[in-house]
Amino acid sequence: MEVAAERWMDRALRMAKEALENGEVPVGCLMVYNNEILGKGRNEVNETKNATRHAEMVAIDQVLDWCHQHDKDPAEVFAHTVLYVTVEPCIMCAAALRLMKIPLVVYGCQNERFGGCGSVLNISSANLTDTGEPFQCIAGYRAEEAVDMLKTFYRQENPNAPKSKVRKKECHK
Amino acid sequence: MGARDRDWGPGAGRAAMEPDCKRRKMEEPADPPWEALLVLPELESQEIELTPAYAAPVLLRTETSRLVRELSAARPLTELPHLKRVRAQGGTQPLEVLLCPAGPLPGASRTLAELLPDGRVDVRGLGEPFLVQVPARAPLTRPQFEEAARHWPTAFHENKRTSQALAGRLFTPQDKAAMGAHMEHAVRAARRGAELGMVPAGAAVVDPATGQVLAVGHDCRNGLHPLLHAAMVCIDLVACGQGGGAYSYLDYPACSFLPPLPGDGLPYICTGYDLYLTREPCVMCAMALVHSRIQRVFYGVSSPHGTLGTGYRLHGRQDLNHRYEVFRGILEGPCRRLGQEPAAR
Repeated sequence: MEVAAERWMDRALRMAKEALENGEVPVGCLMVYNNEILGKGRNEVNETKNATRHAEMVAIDQVLDWCHQHDKDPAEVFAHTVLYVTVEPCIMCAAALRLMKIPLVVYGCQNERFGGCGSVLNISSANLTDTGEPFQCIAGYRAEEAVDMLKTFYRQENPNAPKSKVRKKECHK
Repeated sequence: MGARDRDWGPGAGRAAMEPDCKRRKMEEPADPPWEALLVLPELESQEIELTPAYAAPVLLRTETSRLVRELSAARPLTELPHLKRVRAQGGTQPLEVLLCPAGPLPGASRTLAELLPDGRVDVRGLGEPFLVQVPARAPLTRPQFEEAARHWPTAFHENKRTSQALAGRLFTPQDKAAMGAHMEHAVRAARRGAELGMVPAGAAVVDPATGQVLAVGHDCRNGLHPLLHAAMVCIDLVACGQGGGAYSYLDYPACSFLPPLPGDGLPYICTGYDLYLTREPCVMCAMALVHSRIQRVFYGVSSPHGTLGTGYRLHGRQDLNHRYEVFRGILEGPCRRLGQEPAAR
């Protein structure tokens, strides 16, 4: 289990690096079912102009496509799928993972800004009506590497975001 | 993939729906008037917390200003800056002055010498200290202020907008008419989605600067994708209008978008836009709206798993990087009936 987890996380980190090189928030993830990768995702927010296109959401789409192509019941597949992701899922993604009834999430570093598995809210284990099922988390796999990439990203400015009004004023001075 | 025509807006859209509206109006009794009710963020909606403090009566009124001056210098209320120092009980009762916070485990009886040991305050004119429960933080709304002031006089920097909203005076009748018209788009989309076997929930995105409807959609979780709740559909439809988007809505003609005019400036996700939702969103959708930088959300009815007022209040958290305003109750009657109409399956 430990060796396999390291291997999957290594792949997820490579995807995060790819996101960083494409000007996206460096988060990468894999969805593994029966020792097979059914979905891979990295952030595609700037590419799609849709702020909800986080790595987890992209990977969920791929698993659904796989189920469709292989004539499998998504409920059965997601119930036995493990998510490996470089950063703690945000509040939105944690809710999405609940709704898909994914039982286990292995992640790298904490998500201090948006984390939904304890950092800001604890959506993963909360008692929520009509919002799927709680899931288990294993945190801390290759956390330092994941943090380093986030730091690199946030040091540079998001070229797609509009200039803030405050900053414009500063420029005039 | 939806109306790209610039004429497509609140007025033009209605013409296409006319037969449907007429039929429904004849079946249903007139709805009672609705109110847009502000959904306060967590801190603003909580009851005022109290914390113990020591106060003492001023037995010699002529010493009051000296006592206040010396206390303010020696024991500034750094943790309780919203509290006034002196309270007048009225009538023949003496004035009372706040000495200091009592800390987490206050002793039952403390003397002046114990509380003010360093001699920086001349205790002449002060009576025996007593414990009093005072507001722990500054009130943010008028109801909180009124509650706080019952315990100890409190400063209040009133947020005019919040007070107006709480008093139901924020929106003019014209504003309300426009809000109702926007919500009608969401209600109609919900009905058309239900006819296709979808969950009867709808949404519309409006640019409040122009009044233009930028996207209209309905819940697609029973069809296109299990996570495409109405709000998620509309977020993606706005992205489609900006040349992005992740899904195709060809099979759902009631899900449509309007590309922004060239020269509007480069739009960035849902920044500055309003969202109309027939019902309160779940935690996934409410957080998706934080990520999308929505400006205001108007919804019709609360839902048991809602997170903009019912469970969490995700829209006004200081620990998230974006906050938005939320109002509920818009076109409440028709929105409530959406959940009760049997789904067409």
